[in-house]
Amino acid sequence: MQWSSDIAQVAASGLLMGLAYALVAVGFTIVFGVMNVVNFAHGHIAMAAMFASFALNRFLGLDPYIAALFLFPIFLVVGALLYRTSIAPAVGASPATQMLVTLGLLIVIENTANLIFGGDLRSVRSPIGEGSLHLGALVLPMSRVLAAAGSLLAIAALWAFLRFTRFGKEIRAAASNELGARLVGIPIQCVFMQAFALGTAMAAFAGAMLVPFYLINPFIGYDFMLKAFVIAIIGGLGSLPGAVLAGLIIGVVEAFGDFYLTASYATALVFGLLMLVLLFRPAGLMGSFRS
Amino acid sequence: MSAAGKSSPSALVVAAIAVAVALAAVFPFFVRQQMVVAGTLVLFSCYLAQCWNLAAGYAGQFSLGHTVFLAVGAYTSTVLFRDYAVSPWIGIWVGAGLAALLGAVLSAVAFWYRVRGVFFAVITLGSVEVFRGLFSGFDILGGTAGIFLISANDPMNMNFLSRIPYYEIILALVVLAAAGTFWLERSRLGQYAMALREDEEAAEASGVPTFRCKIVVIAISAAATALAGTFYAQFLLFIVPETLFSFDHMLNMMLGTIVGGSGTILGPIVGSLLFGVLGDVLRSLPVVNSREAASLVRIGYGLFLIIIVLRMPRGIVGLWGRRS
Amino acid sequence: MSDLLQIERIGKRFRGLKALDDVSFSVEEGGVFGIIGANGAGKTTLFNIISGAIKPDVGIVRFAGVDVTGQVPSRLCIAGIGRTFQIARPFPDLTVLETIRVAVLCRVHAMRAATERAVAIAHRFGLAQKLDRRGRHLNVLERKRLELARAYATGPRLLLLDEVAAGLRPSEVDVFVDIVRAVASENITVLMIEHVLAAVFALARRVVVLDQGKTIADGTPQAVAADPKVVEAYLGAGYVAP
Repeated sequence: MQWSSDIAQVAASGLLMGLAYALVAVGFTIVFGVMNVVNFAHGHIAMAAMFASFALNRFLGLDPYIAALFLFPIFLVVGALLYRTSIAPAVGASPATQMLVTLGLLIVIENTANLIFGGDLRSVRSPIGEGSLHLGALVLPMSRVLAAAGSLLAIAALWAFLRFTRFGKEIRAAASNELGARLVGIPIQCVFMQAFALGTAMAAFAGAMLVPFYLINPFIGYDFMLKAFVIAIIGGLGSLPGAVLAGLIIGVVEAFGDFYLTASYATALVFGLLMLVLLFRPAGLMGSFRS
Repeated sequence: MSAAGKSSPSALVVAAIAVAVALAAVFPFFVRQQMVVAGTLVLFSCYLAQCWNLAAGYAGQFSLGHTVFLAVGAYTSTVLFRDYAVSPWIGIWVGAGLAALLGAVLSAVAFWYRVRGVFFAVITLGSVEVFRGLFSGFDILGGTAGIFLISANDPMNMNFLSRIPYYEIILALVVLAAAGTFWLERSRLGQYAMALREDEEAAEASGVPTFRCKIVVIAISAAATALAGTFYAQFLLFIVPETLFSFDHMLNMMLGTIVGGSGTILGPIVGSLLFGVLGDVLRSLPVVNSREAASLVRIGYGLFLIIIVLRMPRGIVGLWGRRS
Repeated sequence: MSDLLQIERIGKRFRGLKALDDVSFSVEEGGVFGIIGANGAGKTTLFNIISGAIKPDVGIVRFAGVDVTGQVPSRLCIAGIGRTFQIARPFPDLTVLETIRVAVLCRVHAMRAATERAVAIAHRFGLAQKLDRRGRHLNVLERKRLELARAYATGPRLLLLDEVAAGLRPSEVDVFVDIVRAVASENITVLMIEHVLAAVFALARRVVVLDQGKTIADGTPQAVAADPKVVEAYLGAGYVAP
């Protein structure tokens, strides 16, 4: 039947996209979970990475998927630098200070992109991302499948990193009990910087993986940030599995909203959902609320 | 400084302000129309910053959603005029009332469920998206294409051929907002708002009805912002969700207020004047083309914001007049 | 003398930890009443519940005969319950005068009259020279005075003092004791949490002892000091009551 295969198609598309959103959200939630900072510029970092990929493709002919692999470590460094220069003084400061500093970052990133690239929509093609995957009656564009797979891998790698490495354990310790972590000698400023760098790199990698099919301009940052926020809240701040689950939900909600209503209603729907969650279940699906 | 806390301004200060206002009022008669328009837009951002300052600077409630109130004001008066021939001079108050109601209800719901600080800011941001979607979806509101009005010589309906009356209107709004802020600072509501801004729990323990206070201040701020919305609609004669809900307005409000000094009367004015004038000057330099100049200017704003927040949290106004 | 405050079977858990367990006592109107106990015994939690900052899981708080359990702190403040915070919380950016005045405004609505009254109260609590000083610039002693002044300025019938004598030198404790005595003589009932036992024994007519969320003694200071349960849980065998 037409409508049931429509539904399946839309749902599948939403699930794939949802994983990429989840990766962005994971980066956001790490930063919040560890140092209690809401980075309003988080989405713009993804946008910056996308433009970086575009530039690499334009001037070096680099395939976006290859670029993504390079952009990850590059943005680790970028994140560390951002932390050192602007974020570190805002940690522990009033919410107003944090908000304004990260909003300042947002302004700088957005207008730098606008200055260099202008406001036109850009796109990048990749031969790797051409074609589609046929799964039964479903037709899944390869680029989306790759974005989803890459995101899932990145999240899994992050989870393993946090679980099994010393860095990861320090990060988790700092997240759950900062004072205790300090007392046992964990260098908190270092840990915060690492967490922020990781969060930045996650957003960057997600953006880079979306480049082959996502239209880019300097103003898409808000969308990413708000979706990351919604997903992080719904999934529970600080929870990786929560972010994945919530990402899938949001991806599907957006896909259906887009398909059956208009794009603007779809966005409104997603945020209506956020507001409901914030009001009635601020801990989200799996999080513990660090108020 | 006297022991009475915030004292009345000295006669010298009052005189200086009167002179400044008088100069500003006659300014448009001596310059080209282009300058009048530029001045109008600068004053517009001053006024918006003053409105935002009420909620954020005095009550500590950081809203990122004030553009919703701007839109409510603009659409209300415009639809009333277009469909019911209600003059915008009246429609402006209906818009303000609706915005106050909306602000009160939304914030009441948020505060009832203990949504505060950053989460409150994000809820307001989310509400911008929700309302933007709604306003774009309804045909009666012109959908995404917006509503156009026709320029005419129709003062009874806030429609002027010359740009000067618009300038004077927004100047009046700025002066009224300053007066209103002055009054608020010295009122019981204002003292309560400042206390809860500093420390909500301690304020509660001191007898401040924080829930009610926050909502009232937000409602006032919302109504004031809506007035600007109607003004904007009549000035541009064109309203569209994309411009009304643009985050640019929000950024200007915040920049002007924070850099100038939040929680003060002159801060938002000084900050917005600085950015407005600076921006116009830089944009008109023949060095780079205007689009690039605009981006450069904004990058400067962003950096400036970060530096100010981290180094000079009291803003420009805080540089002088510091008490012990 | 009727009971101004009645605590009936108050219980509160924080994530599995029982902070308060079936706590009951009454406070008569007039005079000073002490609450003592080791750290973590639940004293500040009890204050938070009485003043409305948190809600109990079970139990009732009755103030002047009315059930006020779970009401918002500002309502309770207007009803007549004032409190100080254990760690003084001045409003960082407001001056001493403005801070006291905020508290006065809940009783005296007119700004000019409220300002005058705030000035008078500041004098009373030794802050006359510091009226224009902002909260963030006050030293510890000044903060404590301000905390007291602020709570007093709300015009309470019942004043909750949370470890106000903590960290004070003996001479300062004496000054504090005099202040509390003066306040109590104005027909304000004082309920004080204290570790500085000299102060408690000097002021309190009755003392309740909390240990791990439960009341283990309730009586005159002398009786409580002699109570073996109290000695074991808190005072220590070598303690000699003043």
